Formats: sequence, structure tokens, C-alpha cells
Amino acid sequence: MKTRCLILIASVALAFAAEDGPAILGKRCGGCHNSQAKVGGLDLTSLASARVGGAKGAAIIPGQADESLLYRRIREGSMPPSARLPPAEQEALRQWIDRGAKWDKKIDLAGRRAGYDWWSLQPLRKIPPDASIDSLVRAKLAEKKLTTSPSADRRTLIRRATFDLLGLPPTPAEVESFVDDPDPNAYEKLIDRLLASPHYGERWGRHWLDVARFGESNGYEQNHLRPRAWHYRDYVIRGFNQDKPFSQMVREQLAGDQIAPGDPEVEAATGFLVAGVHDTVTIQNTDGEMLKRANDMDDIITATAAGFLGLTVNCARCHDHKFDPIEQADYYRLAAVFSGVQHGERPLVATTEKEKLEKPLKESEAVLKDLESTIASFRKEMMPRVEAAQPKIEAAARPAVAREGTEEKFAPVEAKYLRMNIEASAGGGNAQLDELEIFSGVRNVALASNGATVEAVSRVSGEGKSHYPPTFVIDGKYAERWFADSKSSQLTVAFAKQERIERIFFSKDRPLGDARTLTGVPTLYSFEASLDGKTWRKIADSEGRLPYSPKDREDYFLLAVLDAQEKKQWDDWQSKLTAVKAKIAKMPKVPVSYIGSFSQPKEPTYLHKGGNPSNRGADIAPASLTTLSKLLPGFSLDMSAPEGERRLALANWIVDERNALTARVLANRMWHYHFGRALAGTPSDLGKNGEPPSNPDLLDYLAGRIHTSSWKLKALHREVMLSETYQQSSETNQANAAVDADAVFLWRFPPRRLEAEAIRDSVLAVSGKLNPKVGGPGFQLYQYTVDNVATYLPKETHGPETYRRTVYHQSPRSVRVDVLGAYDCPDPSLPEPKRVVTTTALQALSLLNNSFLMEQSDFFAERLRKERNTARAQVDLAFELTFGRMPTEVERTAAFKLIDQHGLTIFCRALFNANEFVYVF
Amino acid sequence: MFSDRRQFLTDFGSGLGGVALAWLLGNRPLNGAEKFPNFQPKAKRIIQIFCPGAASHIDLWDHKPELERMHGKPLPGEENVVTFQGKNGNLMRSPWDFQPQGETGKMITSMLPNLGQLADKMAFIHSMQSRSNTHGPACVAMNTGFIFEGFPSAGSWVSYALGAENQNLPAFVAIPDVRGIPPSGPANWTSGFLPAQHQAIAFSSSDPIRDLKRPDSVSPDAERATRDFLSLLNREHQQKHAGNSDLAGRVAAYELAARMQLTAPEVSDLSKETRATRDLYGADDANPLIATYAKNAMLARRLIERGVRFVQLYCGSRASGADGLLNWDAHRTLKADYERHCPILDRPTAGLIRDLQSRGLLDDTLVLWTTEFGRMPTHQEGTAGRDHNPEAFSVWMLGAGVKPGVSYGETDAFGRRAVKDVATVHDMYATVLHLMGIDHEKLTWYHNGIARRLTDVHGNVVRPIIA
Repeated sequence: MKTRCLILIASVALAFAAEDGPAILGKRCGGCHNSQAKVGGLDLTSLASARVGGAKGAAIIPGQADESLLYRRIREGSMPPSARLPPAEQEALRQWIDRGAKWDKKIDLAGRRAGYDWWSLQPLRKIPPDASIDSLVRAKLAEKKLTTSPSADRRTLIRRATFDLLGLPPTPAEVESFVDDPDPNAYEKLIDRLLASPHYGERWGRHWLDVARFGESNGYEQNHLRPRAWHYRDYVIRGFNQDKPFSQMVREQLAGDQIAPGDPEVEAATGFLVAGVHDTVTIQNTDGEMLKRANDMDDIITATAAGFLGLTVNCARCHDHKFDPIEQADYYRLAAVFSGVQHGERPLVATTEKEKLEKPLKESEAVLKDLESTIASFRKEMMPRVEAAQPKIEAAARPAVAREGTEEKFAPVEAKYLRMNIEASAGGGNAQLDELEIFSGVRNVALASNGATVEAVSRVSGEGKSHYPPTFVIDGKYAERWFADSKSSQLTVAFAKQERIERIFFSKDRPLGDARTLTGVPTLYSFEASLDGKTWRKIADSEGRLPYSPKDREDYFLLAVLDAQEKKQWDDWQSKLTAVKAKIAKMPKVPVSYIGSFSQPKEPTYLHKGGNPSNRGADIAPASLTTLSKLLPGFSLDMSAPEGERRLALANWIVDERNALTARVLANRMWHYHFGRALAGTPSDLGKNGEPPSNPDLLDYLAGRIHTSSWKLKALHREVMLSETYQQSSETNQANAAVDADAVFLWRFPPRRLEAEAIRDSVLAVSGKLNPKVGGPGFQLYQYTVDNVATYLPKETHGPETYRRTVYHQSPRSVRVDVLGAYDCPDPSLPEPKRVVTTTALQALSLLNNSFLMEQSDFFAERLRKERNTARAQVDLAFELTFGRMPTEVERTAAFKLIDQHGLTIFCRALFNANEFVYVF
Repeated sequence: MFSDRRQFLTDFGSGLGGVALAWLLGNRPLNGAEKFPNFQPKAKRIIQIFCPGAASHIDLWDHKPELERMHGKPLPGEENVVTFQGKNGNLMRSPWDFQPQGETGKMITSMLPNLGQLADKMAFIHSMQSRSNTHGPACVAMNTGFIFEGFPSAGSWVSYALGAENQNLPAFVAIPDVRGIPPSGPANWTSGFLPAQHQAIAFSSSDPIRDLKRPDSVSPDAERATRDFLSLLNREHQQKHAGNSDLAGRVAAYELAARMQLTAPEVSDLSKETRATRDLYGADDANPLIATYAKNAMLARRLIERGVRFVQLYCGSRASGADGLLNWDAHRTLKADYERHCPILDRPTAGLIRDLQSRGLLDDTLVLWTTEFGRMPTHQEGTAGRDHNPEAFSVWMLGAGVKPGVSYGETDAFGRRAVKDVATVHDMYATVLHLMGIDHEKLTWYHNGIARRLTDVHGNVVRPIIA
């Protein structure tokens, strides 16, 4: 298999000693001559493979440099092909081979990839103490011969800041009071007010939820909803609103259960670990299940490393990272850290509350257990008696119904209609029939081909279609079955003409051999005949048949042998049993949430060779990444270390302030959301494949500020937003644009389009329908149905329960929801550090025609009519609400015309579609 | 946001607006300046037929005489093999005979008589293997190259590389089966991390494009007046914020939407198709499942005819509670299930191919038949069906640039495992992209640390099936 991710890296100048032979080979030759690329058949990553050599024979003969092909090619300069090796390195290689080519450690990765000296892996730069955001931005602008822009006006600033911190438009009152505020500190007051708003957490929490790939369905084929996953979302929103130090949020998201066990507000944080996809389809062969587990691990490792560290550790699942100094073993060190994490729910409740809830439950469960064991021993005691009597009882009863067919015979009766009433079917669930035959003599009069018709309600699939129609039971074929729509059901056959019927045969699984499931066989039923379809007469039923299920049959035999007193005793037990079960069912349950569960791994984690879990490599202990080993001391735990300890150790290592990467990644992300573009343009990858920072000093300054403000983000928001850089106008300037068209160096504030959520929330805010409730269970913008797999269908009407901020939408995986999907709302199947912003025709169609927009346009019009009396006042208010400004005369005139001819709703719909509504300057 | 780029507006004026716009407003600069096609393409468009549920290779395309001979005997060397759903019974021959077809004498199941007649045109890959034996991940893998969700579908990659030929229609369309969406649903046609304009628009002969239609409460006059009013607002706004080209881009997108509203209903309108064409597909068949799939196949041709780049046409949906009913996942009752599914696939698909040919479209259209994995040569214990088998399955292609009447790769005597010239989805797409004039290694997009490809870090062009 060819691999093309390999690139030779310009190296760091280092003085080589003879023992550095492998390092030199790694750096200079490893790009082509490694175990995967093996150019010319030569692999120079181990002594063994170097001795075997490639197409031209052995590359290294230990002790004989001059005889070694490798050294000869290097000496003559034909290898490496790019540039001759520096003499010092040539000499080091010669000495190393002559001394026996000692090769006791793995090849050094630093040479052929981004090294441990990569910029993001270094301590924070020393920034002069008098530096500020503005001074650092200006220094860079000066270097690029760019000039700053003047400050934006207040109307622009309040709109910009409000969308930035809250994701909502400012109200007209807020705009006016800010614009008119004579206080020179008005802007500062504005920022403080916004930072104190509960909507701040909703806005910035949403950003983090993108990175955390938080979705509320399992994904993959079944894709069932996770109805109790929202606690983690609320944890994030709460954390931002409370200005909880982000370092603390990191620790809690990885190990909240260890930090504050029994505190639901903290434990909810571990929802991060299992916020991603999880395949719920069971696979019977072990290889398949192992791969699924490995995929779960991969999701957690990817999200953790990229989210907190900006490292693409996921690239090292199958091999050493091709670009960054991340060994394959590093990947499995993290896998070992997370190996106790399981997808699923766990109790989320205060310890005292949990005990209170569990106590009565445990008591009742004990009663239940006692009762069951009493009954079981009574059963055992009665066994000889039952066995003796069973043949006789069996002979007296009618046979049980059977999957392959059940017959009812009766005195001939005249009928035009026959109906089957199914009161119960095996295993609960839908009753099923593959054929229902009704005989007059030997003729099956129920056949469609004999003119009969049939009616019944059938189970409906996800799309609202029925694939299991009752016609299957009269088609003369056995393969396809009718599925009733619930446990009990009725099916009516109308014959072509009046018939004299005397026998019925119905089946679910004919012919046998096609062993299907045992469920679905009608077990309690009756047949009724009618001449007119109005008056019915029972002609047969299941009375007197042996029960279908083995367990019911056991009880049937037992009851038949009991005497009166025993029977009384039995009934008493049964009623107690029913009572205690009912009691348990009614007891308040311990609240649970989809925040993962933890169990100590049964065996050590091992390296998956080639990424294949069935290809077992060395055992790997939970440990930190060697990638950062030059930056801070790592940790390495015992193979059998308690799993919670592992996660806590990782969390502490990530937020250790010597780990400059964490604060750098966070600062870069914050900048990304404030300015629409991160300083290093790939927020989840500060490695070699990522973009280098446009202003390294600024990035490290900000990272340093995260440390000095104790990881409290509100202080940093404040500093960023109060900077002149942030307050610049967004208007263009030809000279600057010619040098830096995208304003990477921030000579203006880069304008941008709102995200999907902000657009939807703004529509609701403007129409006056937005319910500002913070937190709690979410809402759904789709019709959710399950028929084995989940289906999400668009909704045509949207009730008031959906008029909440979009962050509370229960967002399923791989489903594009109306409006949101069109406006680049990412699929939470993967982490999304940086949303793509597109402009498409579908966006236009969706804002013009989707029923949500039409409904909201109506509400908006209603609001205008309610709040203002004159057309002029209505138009003015509409502009203030949507754009934060009054209309111009031209606009006002055009608006009047539109409203006159087509009404206020049409006008409102138009405003929602205007560029000004969805762009922030 | 990009600054003013005159070139963009010029392009728009000359009618390339949709495409130019797509490039301009996407995440393009980061992702290199590679120009596509890389070389002269043989195919300009693709119709991919997808039979979800894992259509059995050994019952449709991959004839195994040894399986017939050894029917009822244990599978040698794997007597106790446990697969996806559990234990397996003995070897089970196909319930139907295979028949030699055409000049090549290719053996095809008698259950597909119409497609069988086209065997001389097809190039089979019989040695496919999948990395997953679960429908969801495996379907997604067949469409994106990855078993994880969130990666772009092949159609999105092609849209990203080549754009649309018709600016009034999307470049990529998915036509789901009337019975529902396939396993993992829209993840099969998502643009993943590629810009949203590359995702497929999903619609069919029975379900129109979502939100395409103007609401009934908005009269045509009101719509016109709305557009005039919007133009005024946007013009004033653009003047105030000169030099921000994506404001103009958004105006252009609204114009494109208006053109799509005119064009798309015409494409879906099958009423102008002749009686002969309808018969060719079986669009009026008494079996509504055949008729609906036939109409979808006809829609696929109409889309291709009008310059849509990539059409996915599904025959089957996700599994329901009654297995084997909605797709090709015949765990228990292979015979009954396939007697239901084969006729749905057979005539309409054959009709589509013949129709493409008679209209000359097969010269530059590639037709690809796919499923997510194969099935076991044994029967599943206690049933008359077959369990999943990711170690062997067949796909075929025909049309533009494809060598007709060839078979590449082989499975063992029973069809249990691909043994000769083992191929993967990456090889298949390397080949498909090659036919489209694209070097699969050059079609990349940076995401989470790596320049991602449809073919991951794998893929070799299967040259023996190229004409």
C-alpha cells in the first residue's frame, strides 16, 4: 500500500555524535526509507531492516562503514537526492557504523517530522510587560505596512458586541440608550452588561459544544435519540455563565466524577467524554465488537486531544503521526487513560438524594425477591404432582397456537364478513400474520384472487408509510406478513359473496424452516362472522387452548393440580407480586444522564498494529503524550492504575501551566470566535499541518493572560472587546485591502455572516416569540419515529415549545434540519473547530419558503400591529428590530408600497431575507 | 469575508455565477489551487445505483458452481464460524439458477433477466472487501471512503472538484427509495466538512425538493414585489459597505434560487416522457414499488441529461422491524426477500441503461452499481437466509471509459472471501475519479490535521476495467 503523507522536514541544526546514527537516518532518510513507504525496498527504521536492505542489497554492515552501501551512497553524494549530507553528519554516521551500528532505541521522530521544537510545543514567549493587544496588533500592522481603521460608530458597536457575546440582536431600547449615553465609559458598561447576561453562556457554550462534538443521538445506522444528554449542555452553559476557570472545566469534563463525586453539577461534565457517536448495533463476532470499541475510543481521543491541546493525535491510530512528533504509542497511552469509559447513562443526582431514592426501592426489591423465591420453591415442591398429571391435562386441552399455523373448526355458518379480534400476541409487540385462510369446503374464500378484500390498521414505518399491509394475509403467499399497529388489533375480511364457512387456518411463519422470531403470534383472539357487517356473532376463539409461551404453560399445568387452599395461597402470592411490582414501577427513579459510566478495564490496553484491534501489539500503560515531554514533566501510571485516576492525571497534566499548549489553544479559539478568524487559522490543529499564527506574540500574550487571569474567560473577553483593534470600523480601505484582503492582520474588524443558530434565534427575538428560558430538556425541530432505526422527518408546524434558543435543540447526528442545516450548522458526528461559511441557493429557498419563516413572519407582523398604530411607526419599529436602525426615506417609501399591496407579513418575510439581517459589521 | 473581487462579478455576469460563487465563498484558499480535471476525462457524469442492506454477490453476480455442488455441507475450515448475527449453518446454494449471458457468457442470476442481457457492457469487480460488517458504517464507507460519519460523499467530492454543468441545478442529487432513506440516512450524501453547497439535494419522483416551492400564502405578485424590495435593501446596504463581495454573493444566491425554482420542477415532471420510455423503465407497473423506482430511475436520467454531475439512486431503504422487507438484508428468508427485491431493481435499471445508451448519454456517463458488503455462502443457523460478509462482495460499472464485458478479481470457490486482486472502496473510487479525469491523490481538503481524500491514504486505479 502506498503512503503519501510523508514529507521531509528541514531540520534543526544539532551537533551529532556517533551515537546519533539512527537520529540522522531518521531525519535525512526516513521520509522515504521507512517501514511504510519503503522506497527502493529499503526500510531504515531499524537495524534489522537496514541490514536486510533494499533492492540493491544490505545497506549497513555493522563495523564496516566503507563496505556499507548506505555510507558509500551518502559519501558520494547520490543520497539523499535533495542535498548532500553535512560533513559532520557524514562523519558521525561513519563512526557509528564502524563502532557496530548500535541501535538501541526507536528511530527519533523529531528528525523527519515537525520536531519537539515545533512552535506550539514551546513555552510561551516572553512578551514585554507593557505590551497590549493593540500594541502587538499595531506592531504587526506596521511590519506589513498596514494602517488601522477608525473606531466604528456606537450603533455598529452594540450590534457587533451583542451578537458576539449573546448571539442575539440588541433591542431597539438597548440601541437607543447606548447611542445616547453621554458617559464616556458607555461601551465598557455595555460589555459588562453583556458578560453578565445568562445568554452569554448560551452563545459561548454553543461554541464549545461544536468543539466537543455534542450531539443528542447515537449516530450510525440506528441513530436513536439520547433523551437525557442535555445535562452536559447545561453544564457547559452554566460554566461559562459562572465564569468558572476553564482549567477547572477541563478537569471536570475529563474527570468530574473524581473531582466532586455525588455533585451532579460537576459530574454532568463527563458528558464530554461520551458526547460523540456510538454504534449501538450489536455484532456477534468478537472482531466486530472490538473494532466498535476501538472506534468509541478513537472518538474520545480525537475530541480530547484536538479540543484541549490542538493536537491531531487521531492521526497516530495506525502509525506514528506523519507530520507531528506523536508516536503511535502516544495514541494508545491516551486509549489506556480512557479505557474505563463506557457510553451510556449514569445516575446524576446528589449522593444524599440518591440514597433517599434508592432506600425504598431496595426495600421493595427485597420483598419482591423473597416473594419470587417462595413461589419458586413452591413450584419445585409441586413438580412431581404436575409431572404426573400433565399428560391428562394436555389431552383435555386444545393445542396451543403455533407459528406455523393454527386451525379453528366450527359448525358451518353463513357469512359475508369475518373478523379476527386479536387481544394479545406472543412477546407483546405487534401481532403478525402471513396468511389467514377461511374455508368453505376446500375453497379458501378469503383469497384476494377469489374476490375477497381485507381491512386492518397496520404498523407504520418511520416515514409514515405502511410496508406491512393486511393484503399480505389474503395474497396466497406466505413470505410477507401483515403487522398490526399495536398489541391488540382487528382484521376484517369481506368475501366476494355470502359463503358457508366451516374452517379457519391462520399462520405467522409458514413454511417453518424460515425460523423467524417467536414473537407476534396471536395468542388471545376471537373470530366473529357477520352477514351485513353490522351484527356480529362469535364463531370461535382461543378459549381452552394451552398457553403459547412455555412459562405460561407451566403455570397452566400447576394451577390445574392445586387444591382449593393451595389455589388461594397461589392467588395471594400473585396479587402480592403484582402489587409490589406496581409499587416499584411507580417509585421515583434515580435520575440518570448520558454522561458515560466507568468501569475498571479487565485487561491492559495494547497497541493496535496498523490500527487493527485484532492485531495485538505491546501493552501500553496510561501516560501523557511524549509530544510535550520537552515542555513539562509527563506522567505514567501503572497498567492497573484505577481508571478514574488515569483521567484525573491526564486532566491535571493538560492544565498544568507549564503546558503552554493548552492556554495557547484556548486563546486562539477565543480569538476565532471574536474575530471570525483564529490567529492560527486551524484552531484544533497547531501542528505542522495547521496554519502558523499570524501574530505569534499576540497569541502568546493572550495565552499568558489566560494564566494571569486564572483561566477566567470573562476577563479576557473584556480585554479583547475593549481593545481598539476590536472596536475598529469594518469598512474597507483599498490600500490595506491590496496587501491583506482578508484582514488577517486586523487592519479592520472583519465583518461576517451570522451562524445558523444566531439567525434562527434572531428571527424569534425579532418576532417577539423567543422564550428566554435557560437550560432544561431540549426541544425537537423534527418528527422523531423509531422502527428499529430512528427517522427524523421535517416538521411543517412548529409549536411554542420550539420557540427557544437553538442551543436547546436536540441536535441529532447526520440529519440536516431545515434552515439550520442550510446555514452550515455542522453535523455533530465530528468535532467542528471552525464552521465553514457558505452562501448557497438552498439558504435562500429556506429563508424564503420554510414554514418556520412563514409562521414567524406572521408573528412579526402581529407584533408590529400590536405595538404600533400607524404604518410609519410599524415600518420604523420593524427596521429597528431587524437592523438596529431607522429606515431611510427611500426604504420607508418602498416598504409602504410593499405593505399596501401585499400586507405586513410579506414585508416582514422580506426583512428576514435581507443581507443586513444576517451580516454583522 | 472576502474583499471585492471584480473577477467574481465578471464571472457572474457571464453566467458562471453559481460555480464561481461556490468557489469564492467556500473555504477554498486554505485548500490549494489544484485545477480539475487533472487530465482528459472519459466520463462527465455519474449515476450510482445503491442497493442498501448488502445485496448478495453469490445470489446475483458472482456465480459459484462449487457452492451448488457442496450445498448442505459444512463450509470447509469454518464449520463453526460466528458472523454478525451469530452462528452459521451449512453451505446454501442460491435459490435460483444462473444463466450465461451475451457473448461473454457471463453467468448472472435468472432473477435479473433484463440486467443479465446487459452483462456484456458491465465491468465487474468481484473481489471487493469492506472494513465494516454493520450496515450503517459500511454504507457510509461505500459512499465516503470512511466508516465514520461526517466525511464527504463521493458526489460531494466530485461537485467540489468539477462543479455543476448546469448552474440552475445542484451538482449532486440523491434519490432515496420510496420506502425510506438508507442505513445512516443523509450521512450517505453529506458534504461532511466540505462546504455545504456540495451536499446532495435529496429528492425523488414522489418527494420534491424541500422548500423549493413558494408558499401558497405568497402570490406570484407578492413574490416579485418582495424581490424588488429586497434588491433595494441589499443595494443600499452594499453601497454602505462597499468592497465586501460576499454581500453580492448572497444576492447572486437568491437569483440562483429563483432560477432553480423554475428549472427543478421541469426536471421532475415526467409527464412528457413517451409511452415507450415509460414502458422501457416499467413506470406504470402494477407493483407500486417497481413503478416508483422506475420513475426515480427516469428522474436520474433527466437530471444527468440536464448536467447534474452525480446522481445517487437508491433501490431499498434502511432495515425496518421486519427484516428483509425494505432492503437487501436477507437474514432469514432469502428466497422470498429477493423475489420481492430483484424485480424492483431489474427492469427499471436495465431500462435506465438502455435509455442512456439510446440517447447517447452512455458515452460520457458512468453507471456504477454498489452495495455495502456481501453475504455468507452459508445459511444463518435456523434460517433460510444469509448473514453479513464484509470479506467479499461485487460491484460493477459500465458506460463512459469502462471496458465492457470484463470481470476483475475473484472470490474463493464459495464466494466466502475475495482472494484474487482484492479491491476496496478506495480502489473503486480511485478508478471512478480517474474516469472523471481526477487524480484521486490530488483531490484533497484539509480537515483536523490532514489533507483528507475520498480515498483516505489508499486507492489504486483498477486499470484492467478501463477501456
